[in-house]
Amino acid sequence: MLTEEKVNRLEASLAKLLDDAGATYAFLADMGGNLICSAGRSDFDGTSLAVLSAANFAATREMASLIGEKDFSLLFHRGENENIHFTRINPDVLLIVLFKPYLSLGLLRLKVENVKKEIASVF
Amino acid sequence: MAIINLKEKKIQVKIVYYGPGRSGKTTNLRYIFKKLQEKYGESLKSNLISIDTKGERTLFLDFLPVGLGQINGLDLNLQLYTTPGQVIYESTRKLVLRGVDGVVFVADSLATRKEANVESYQNLLTNLKEYGLTTEDIGLAFQWNKQDLQEKGIPVMDAKSMEDLLQVGQDVPTFSASALQGTNVLKTLNIVAKLTVSKVLKKMIGIEG
Repeated sequence: MLTEEKVNRLEASLAKLLDDAGATYAFLADMGGNLICSAGRSDFDGTSLAVLSAANFAATREMASLIGEKDFSLLFHRGENENIHFTRINPDVLLIVLFKPYLSLGLLRLKVENVKKEIASVF
Repeated sequence: MAIINLKEKKIQVKIVYYGPGRSGKTTNLRYIFKKLQEKYGESLKSNLISIDTKGERTLFLDFLPVGLGQINGLDLNLQLYTTPGQVIYESTRKLVLRGVDGVVFVADSLATRKEANVESYQNLLTNLKEYGLTTEDIGLAFQWNKQDLQEKGIPVMDAKSMEDLLQVGQDVPTFSASALQGTNVLKTLNIVAKLTVSKVLKKMIGIEG
């Protein structure tokens, strides 16, 4: 159950991440495909993105397992207009960030690491 | 697992359509989507997402979000999923089932698909168990699809035979249906949604939905 206070804290963390990293859109999804909350541009279909992100992440983990890897340390797709980066907050929650191709992936990963603990503490 | 968001005043539950290959799971969702489009036209925000093969068999999942009014002052959002029915897609089927709150078991009423139904249902029980769930923990309804084929002289199992085949409990709702024609598709969804929300509310906040 997400109380109003929890959602506010999560949205604040996402907004701060977008500010620090200069990213476009960030959202939290659970591994069942539910959109938990989001921040940034409002014209993305967050509901569908959450479902596909969870499916993508889960499928990639299975692939890692099949080839003898515990997990992949980076899950990232490069696009022409937006890149998308996935990271796991805890076993049940994903953080997905969309950012422009001219932004540094390394910087984004750093900012994501900084915000992970903050988000994890809410759950 | 269901999400209750008290800030946005909404409850979100996951309902998965499960069953053997070609039983009509995707056809159910397509029918529901078609009805939503007819009702809301261009103002419909929901989209049916399908990850399928070129032969139109579900490869990973279909997904359709459906708003279903309010319950206990919260907007009720259903996340409808289908799983790939073919046996080789077991690993992806398990992934889609994660976080499930309700299941519609879409059985194929064709007499030739008897064993496929049993195998698929056993598979559902096994996969639920891996997530620490039994059929008591979720909303569950059975749909005996393709009953309309009887009119065309194709041998189908009747509802009683299907219930005996899958050992359906007395309290579990079952529906004879034709997903292609839409018979009992919405009724199945309505009932499983009510059951699912009731279980979720009871589990999460201890009230009867």
